[in-house]
Order: sequence, then structure tokens, then C-alpha cells
Amino acid sequence: MDKGIRPIAALTKAPTLTTVGRMLKSGIRPLGLLGPAGIWLLLLVVLPTLLITELSLVPGLRPGQPIESYGFLNYLRILEPTYLQVLQRSATFATGTTLLCLGFGFPVAYWLALMAPKRWRNLLLVLFILPLWTSSLLRTYAWITLLRSSGVINLVLTTLGLPPQGLMNTPWAVYVGMTYSFLPYMVLILYASLERLDLQLLEAAADLGANPRLAFWRVTVPQTLPGIAAGCLLVFVTSLGDFVVPTLLGGPNSMTISQLIYNQFLGVARNWGFGSSLSMVLILMVSMAIALLLKYGDRNPDIYS
Amino acid sequence: MPRRLSRNSSLLTNTSRRRFLQGSAAALAGVGLSNCRRTIGETETVAPADDTTAAAPASGTLQIYTWADYTDDELAAQFTEATGIDVKIDVYDSNETMLAKMQAGGGENYSLIYPSDYMVTEMIGLDMLTELDQSRLVGLDKIRDKWQSPVYDPDNTHSVPYSWGTTGLLYNSEVLTTPPTDWNYLWDNSDVLSRKMTLLDDVRETMGAVLSSLGYSYNATDPAELEEAYQRLLELKPSLASFKSFGWQDELLSGDLLLSMVYSVEGIPVSLENPTFKYVIPESGSSVWTDTMVIPTSAPNVDAAYEWINFNLQPKVSQETVERLFFATPNGEAMTLLSKELLDNQNLFPPEDLLAKCEGIAPVGEANVLYDEYWTKVKSA
Repeated sequence: MDKGIRPIAALTKAPTLTTVGRMLKSGIRPLGLLGPAGIWLLLLVVLPTLLITELSLVPGLRPGQPIESYGFLNYLRILEPTYLQVLQRSATFATGTTLLCLGFGFPVAYWLALMAPKRWRNLLLVLFILPLWTSSLLRTYAWITLLRSSGVINLVLTTLGLPPQGLMNTPWAVYVGMTYSFLPYMVLILYASLERLDLQLLEAAADLGANPRLAFWRVTVPQTLPGIAAGCLLVFVTSLGDFVVPTLLGGPNSMTISQLIYNQFLGVARNWGFGSSLSMVLILMVSMAIALLLKYGDRNPDIYS
Repeated sequence: MPRRLSRNSSLLTNTSRRRFLQGSAAALAGVGLSNCRRTIGETETVAPADDTTAAAPASGTLQIYTWADYTDDELAAQFTEATGIDVKIDVYDSNETMLAKMQAGGGENYSLIYPSDYMVTEMIGLDMLTELDQSRLVGLDKIRDKWQSPVYDPDNTHSVPYSWGTTGLLYNSEVLTTPPTDWNYLWDNSDVLSRKMTLLDDVRETMGAVLSSLGYSYNATDPAELEEAYQRLLELKPSLASFKSFGWQDELLSGDLLLSMVYSVEGIPVSLENPTFKYVIPESGSSVWTDTMVIPTSAPNVDAAYEWINFNLQPKVSQETVERLFFATPNGEAMTLLSKELLDNQNLFPPEDLLAKCEGIAPVGEANVLYDEYWTKVKSA
């Protein structure tokens, strides 16, 4: 009896095993690849965000207090003019910094990718990124030395016979400091994008009678649009949450959303509920920027192929 | 309140600059704080260590959580040599950062922390501090009478006073020939000082100073008084360069700022190094603060913590630390050992009548919300 069944069992079993094995394999492989990052994201991004979301719904929550009721009061409070002003200032700083980085970064990246001698390119890139190796705090302190009334910049200006500028402790100082801080990111991303520029298309444009200016706007820019969008996004997002530069260089009128959030958690009010709702707004602003990038940033992904 | 964000001047010596950067880095790291457990800020109460172990010599490692400029390698080395206990020191930049970390459960390794007066009161209320076994403390009687039963912790049941200081004005005496004597100076001379002065980026200190200049208490809770102070601060704002608790040193020393409101721990070392800069405590009174040593309820190695407290209560140790780090000690016997130069420094040890006018910053309860609202308005108007 046994003898009769065995081969049949083996026959029916064999394909099942391989199917299961295949299924397991196809399941394990992505799991193995995505698992570590997935757990990381889950533990350090998703869970904290959910926690913040919950706290943001508890009006006026202070540490040590039990959670009693939920509501949207924290969010309504953000709509008060004082706080809207802070949000608006942060957005303005971030937008301005992004535009400045694009303005300064594009020519640099263009030169690095298309005009600089090839064998120097990597070295030049490294030189450009070098400042990122030092602490952002130190770099911002260096700007105090440069920007203050009797600082290096004014020394140069007065030596040249130009009037000294009162830049320190003004919004301009914030733009200078943030643009300096985030420019390398913009250049790196634009460089990566410009490096892959299809030069044949430019030649074709020239053949068809386009002058260099027209070719730049109609061929180069559209091809690098995804890079421009990605660079702008990165700079916008990082400068929106910047704390160091506005605090050290900004002067008496420079409260940004990150300082406001800091004050809610570690300042006098210790209103973790309100602080969490402000954090949610910041997360929302960043998410919106990313959503815009996904929708408009990479309209034409096949240009790389 | 980011009180005394970093209490160092950056331009004195390399070591103080390093410590300063540690402080600022800690301040900025605090921004990223998001590590809190489900029960928000609920603290664990651990049974106090068994007192029968008192006789056995303490050993192991002592982890301390303190301000950036209260301990240095030398103090730690001396302690290790005397007791055989290794010391590990972490620094914080404000009482609130420390509290948040302790409440979030991130401070379970610390056997000893250094909260300020009002924070001691608050932490006792939160059941976070061990009631000290007075029989294990040696040398508490050497603490000056003034600190034997402070308002923030009557009879020092939970804390041992370690240092104290004031808040005042540090100014450039070469340019400001009529020196400031009181808070009103800022308003009266706002043209000379225009965009050449900084106030502390610290709600309670700065609002407190304005309240004080109006004749109110540093701890005012009356909304009308706070509104008046807010308006008066707004009046001064066009003449302000910035609100800064740290980062004013560069500009002040180079002459770009003429006056900064500073904590005495930061101001006095600058004035000692460079006679151009003078520190003054406003004559109508400013804030006076005390920092203490406490043992959190979650502390491991409580024995080592007692050893540390007793070690620091020794007049000789206290005197040497003060001469290295320039803060005022409440230890009466240590004062008798101090150099005459330091002892005669009226900024470090202000005369009693002036001190009597100074006020300690105390918790203001619900008025915190008002303080914070006015502060946001001041800084973004």
C-alpha cells in the first residue's frame, strides 16, 4: 500500500514544493531588499509621525499631563495672525533661498558639467562640497565674522570706497547664510542633470537655426527641468526647517516655524500639543512640495533613455 | 525657557570655546527631540536605593547631566582619584531640554543632575527627585545661611545648592562713557544703542527685566502688567540688534555691539579678560538664580551620586572649581579660601543690599501661555 502511494505522492508533491519555493523566493527577495529600510522608515518616520499627529489633536497638552480630550483647537490657533506671520516668514525665507540657490547654482553647475576641463571636474566638485564637511554651526559663526558692521565684507566695501552695509541681524543676512548653506546641494543635483545633457540635441538645434540663447531655453532647460525641480525641492524643504541661520543671523524679527516649534517643546509654554500641530503643518508643507515635484517635476522621464 | 543657552564666552580660550560649541550643539540637537514614550512625560518612580549599602564604598561609573561650564576634566579627574569612581559627563543647554529628556525616559543613566531653582520645584512636583538622606551629606552646614532653606526647596530636602549668579548688562566702557546703571538706560539711550544691543533670547529673563524696569515682579502673572511690559519691549525693539543667548560675543568684542544682556556666568569672564567690557547688575534689581545638585528618582548608583555631592561640598574643591570656571559659590567656607580679587568682584559676589532687590525666577503656572504668546509676537512683529 505504501509502495503504491509513494510515487504518486512524490509526483504531486514535487511541483508543489517548487511552486512554494518560487513563491517564497519571490516574496523573500523584495522583503530582504526592502526590509531594513522599511523597518527603519516604520520605526523612525511613520510611528513618530503618527505620534505627533495624535499629540497635535490634544489641545494645550503639556508633558506630564494625561490625554483627556481630542480636538482641533491647536490647528485653529495656528490661524491666529501672529502664527500665520511666522509661517509666512518661513515660507518666504525658503522660497527666496531656493530662487537664489537656483540663480547662483545653475551657472556653476553648467560650467562644471559642460565647460570645465574633464580631468578637473571631480576635484572641482569635491572642492564645492568641501564646506559641507564642517559643522553648519561653525559655518554660520563664520558668517557673523563676515557680515558684522566691522566685518570682512564691510572692510572690503569701505576699502573700495563704497558705503558699508548693515547686513548683520537683518533678513538679508538670513538669505545670505541659507543660500550659502544649501547651494552645494543645488549644484550637485543640477550637475548630475546637466552632465547627462544630450549634446546632439543642441547641435541639431543649431543646425535648424536656433541661436545659442534659444537653444538654451528650448533644449537645455527643458532637458534639465527634472533636475531643477529636484534641486529646488531639496533646498526649499531644508531651508523651510532651518534653525541655525535665522537664530544666529536673523535679528529681532526673525522667528521662523522651527524656532516656534522649539519654543513650544523646550520654551516657557511647553505646549507639546500646539508644538505638534505646528510640526504637522511643517510636514504638510514639505509633503505638498514633494507632491508638486512628483506631479510636475518629472513630466518627461524618457529623456534619459 | 531656553535659559542660559550656553553659558560661555566663545573668545576666551580654546577650552571655553570648545565647551561653548558643545553647549550650542546640544542646544541645536534639542530641536530634533522627538523621542517620547506613549505615556507622555510620565516619569517612572524607582524605589530609592537601599540605605544599608551606605557603608560600602561606592564604585563603578557615575553619569552626570549638567550645564556646559560647571564641570571640567580636572574636576572629574580629581574625583576619580579620590574615590575610584569613573565619571561620565553629558551637558545640556537649558533646564527645559534636561526636563524633556528626563521625562521622555532618556535620562535613566544619570545619577546626578544640575537643575536650577524653579526647575527643582517643578521636578519635586513631578516626583522626579529623590529625597536626600541628610545623614549621608557631609559639609552642608558650610553652605551660607541664605541657601540653608531656599524658597524653591525648603530645608534643601531634595537639592544641594551648587552655584548662583545674576543676569546683567555687559557693555563696552570705551564707547559708553556714561555707564548703564539700570534697565531704564536701554530706553533712555536707545539712539546711541540703536541696533547695537542684544537682549537674551529667553522669555522669562527678558520679559522679567522689562517688568522689573516697570516696577513689577519678575514673576508677574497679571495680564495687564504683562501687556504693559510687552508694549514697552516693542518700544525698544527698533533699537535692538537681536535677541541672543549665545553668539553675541563676536560682535560685542569687535565693537559692533555696545551692550548685551547676559548671564553673569558668561559676562563676568569676559569682563575679567578684557577690562574694556564691564558687567553691571541693574540697580533696581535683576534676576538671581541658583543651580543645584539633585539625584533623580531613576538614578542608578545612588552611592556614587552622594560621593559626588560630598566631594563638591568640600571647601577646597569648591574654591578650586570656582577659580577655574568663575561662578559664585554658595559655600561660605569656600569663599574664605578664594583669592581676594575674585571675592572683591562685586559682580560675582554682589553686595547684600543689591542682592536683596534681585528676584528668583519662579514658575508662573498658566501665565506661561501669555508669556509665550507675547514672546512670539515680539519676535515676529
